[in-house]
Amino acid sequence: MNNYRKYFLKKGIWYILTLVIALSLNFYLPRMIKGNPVDSILSKYKSVGNTDTRKKLYETFTKEFGLDKPLPMQFLIYLKNLTKGDLGTSIMMYPKKVNAVLASALPWTVGLQLPAILCGWLLGNVLGAFAAYKRGVYDKIIFPISLFVTSFPFFIFSIILLYVLGIHFELFPIGGGYDYNLIPALNFEFFKSVIRYHTFPFLSIAIVMIGGQGIGMREMALYELNSDYVKYSKFLGIREWKIIQYVFKNAMLPQITGLGLSLGTMVSGALITELVFNYPGVGTTMFAAIRNLDYPLISGCTLIITLAVLLSNFIIEILYGIIDPRIKSAQLEDS
Amino acid sequence: MLAGCGSKSNTKSADVENTTKTGETTTEKTQNEKTAAENKTDDLRKETLFITGLEWGPPSSFNYFTGVASFPVNNQNNMLVYETLFMYNGLSGEIEPLLAESYKWIDDYTIEVKLDKRAYFNDGEPVKIEDVIYTYELGKRYDILWSSLWTYIDSVESKSDDTIIFKLNKKDYNILAVTESLTNVPIHPKHIWEKIEKDANYDISEINKFFNESPVASGSYKIYSYDDTKITLVRDDNYWGKSKFGKLPAPKYITHILFKSNDAASLALKRGDLDYSQNFIPNVWKMWEDGAEVRTYLEEAPYYLSDSMPSIYFNLSKPGLDNPDVRRAIAYAIDYKKIIDIAMNGYSDVVEPALTVNNELESKYIDKDAIKPYQWKYDVDKANEILDSIGAKKGDDGIRVLPNGVRLGPWKLECPYGWTDWNATLEIIQQSAKKIGIELETYFPEDTVYENDRNTGNFDIVMSTPADVITPAQPWKRAHDILSAKELPPFGEQAYWNFGRYKNERAEKILELIPAEKDIERLRKLYTELTIIYLKDIPTIPLMYRPTYFFTVNESVWTNFPHENDGTGIPPYCFDGAGIKSLYNLKNK
Repeated sequence: MNNYRKYFLKKGIWYILTLVIALSLNFYLPRMIKGNPVDSILSKYKSVGNTDTRKKLYETFTKEFGLDKPLPMQFLIYLKNLTKGDLGTSIMMYPKKVNAVLASALPWTVGLQLPAILCGWLLGNVLGAFAAYKRGVYDKIIFPISLFVTSFPFFIFSIILLYVLGIHFELFPIGGGYDYNLIPALNFEFFKSVIRYHTFPFLSIAIVMIGGQGIGMREMALYELNSDYVKYSKFLGIREWKIIQYVFKNAMLPQITGLGLSLGTMVSGALITELVFNYPGVGTTMFAAIRNLDYPLISGCTLIITLAVLLSNFIIEILYGIIDPRIKSAQLEDS
Repeated sequence: MLAGCGSKSNTKSADVENTTKTGETTTEKTQNEKTAAENKTDDLRKETLFITGLEWGPPSSFNYFTGVASFPVNNQNNMLVYETLFMYNGLSGEIEPLLAESYKWIDDYTIEVKLDKRAYFNDGEPVKIEDVIYTYELGKRYDILWSSLWTYIDSVESKSDDTIIFKLNKKDYNILAVTESLTNVPIHPKHIWEKIEKDANYDISEINKFFNESPVASGSYKIYSYDDTKITLVRDDNYWGKSKFGKLPAPKYITHILFKSNDAASLALKRGDLDYSQNFIPNVWKMWEDGAEVRTYLEEAPYYLSDSMPSIYFNLSKPGLDNPDVRRAIAYAIDYKKIIDIAMNGYSDVVEPALTVNNELESKYIDKDAIKPYQWKYDVDKANEILDSIGAKKGDDGIRVLPNGVRLGPWKLECPYGWTDWNATLEIIQQSAKKIGIELETYFPEDTVYENDRNTGNFDIVMSTPADVITPAQPWKRAHDILSAKELPPFGEQAYWNFGRYKNERAEKILELIPAEKDIERLRKLYTELTIIYLKDIPTIPLMYRPTYFFTVNESVWTNFPHENDGTGIPPYCFDGAGIKSLYNLKNK
């Protein structure tokens, strides 16, 4: 076990190194885009005609965002603030703090994506395994439907859902995070409304996910079902459910990688879903930040994505070891 | 105290929002109780006016100092929360009393304004002369939205407890800028902002960080709640203006929904989830053809009243484009009708080149017959004729070359990416120019790149709308933004008007004379002369007329919005200037 801990310590150092590199890329890349963010603020000052006033405003903002300092210096200030948990002030939503912008958008994104990804993943895998194992009529139904659903472009699926179920049959509200008449509060009415408005965007993500996962699982399970150890187990007369357990465990590995990556990147938001269903979240915030060269906000968003991806990868590595002893032994050898 | 900004959804605390419909004070309720009691959605729908198109992102602050605050503080003319002394009526051209009762000219350099003594802020404090003087002087102390005004004002003083005297600068004499200020300087309560200033140590960047979550102001609405999806205002049932207008505005709540796409907003309007939209809606007539109770200000095309002119600016330092004949040829080559039909969905008349928009308010300043010989219209033959006459011969590639060897193109035609109607307009100009042997290339960068290019002069031809604000200072403001080189930063520095850096001494002189003139006949002469200079030199080409606010309403919940010939004289917008009067006329269906 000591070796195992050493292995993760070594891995941890690598992860921290990756984080530092990612941090500098997150910082430098947006600043390489052509343009000046202060212009986007000042372009809104339509009523200020006086040149001196304009100039002074320009200088005030440039100084406030530290844009007058050399880039390496700006980076150091950014790192210093980061240690205090301060992501800076948003340029396009000045004077709002990046922390505040993300705090209001992130719960919507996680609330939408996490259940959708988990449900899609679970259902997809169960259906995929079921189809592979049962074959016959089940496979003939589940497989083509999954293929059909997953090969649909995501945004078209959202729009069709919106049009057919929302506009034509009026089953669910067509946009927004909750009923516009309500004020967010911890009460049943608001919760009910959030669930109602959640349905469409949730379905549009989950159904596509079910399709994709279902196909992946079916293929993996079919491959495993034909492998030597299954045949051998059958010869040995091992009980069927035990064999299925083996098969499922082995087929799961790539699926878990997929889940980890999905969970890691989910915080970047579902841009298309947010646009089509006018749903609050990080996706459109980040998109707007990039378009407005809002350096602190872009860096804030990418930081969260970086952290989430690294963290989920790290957890997957641990999970691998638990699920598959072969990997664990390889990891031990590594260290 | 400098408060941090609201991160989650923010609801008003009960001590601020503690009035009932009758204006009686209620006991404090917890937020949960309040929302539970008020979540009777059907009744609420009838009490709420749902609007869109004035704000696109989550609120950043409600602090005018920042200059980039959110609805309803995003526009100096918005009268819902903060109020000005007067309100401008863009339909009649009149300025109408709001916090003030009346104004008069004592002499050429002095305006006397009488304050309405009934006015008070929503914290119960009366609106006093000191508040007005304090607000104006904020612009003197800090660089804020009304700072430039102090070029034209010497002092703002009190004469009595309800009379203010504005003394104009004799050297930089500008009646228009000062009159405009009466309609767009939002009066701030001195007793509140003095403290904020002091806490911020009189540092503007610190004052800018004040979110102003519950503005103390004199308007008929207060901020009720806001989050990433909407901003809701609630009517102040103790509003002082009840005595002035005889009643309160009809909607108890005004909710501005923050849409993420134009399509989602159009869909909501069509379904009646929205009552009022200020967005550009393609093929708006299809909405009522499909049975929606949607209508526009005008019953027939062009459906909207226009008050601005999106134009292309030429960079006058570029060889080839510095030649007025080349610019004239381009002006003749553009198919304006096609732009209106394809890019603008027919929401505009074909533009008649001038410094003025083709409405009565502005046309009265122009002698149409005098400018007619200098105006252009779509005529490809004429364009070719002009280029032939200056010896611009076509090369092997079909592009003309001037006798001095300058090839007419390639020049970039620039506007922001994603502004689809503008993108289409520039595509049409590109095709038009090609027909006469001028090579143009469209270039659609991101907004920020475009703004920087435009302001610093890093462009060949750029599309922009000169002075697109509804103000009593029009059409002077537009003419200034097109022609004035006074105090204009050179190429390379940020300029916010006259992007092509046009310069003409006579035009400059006229631009100084107009705002000092009150006589309509003399103004007519000056504007006509200025327009002729403009039409001869062509520093810009107006492409279309366009409303500052598209006014489209769905009357399935609220009716009685202003419309053409309704006899009310209320302009087609509900929240700016005299447009707020429409809120008093609204009725539930």
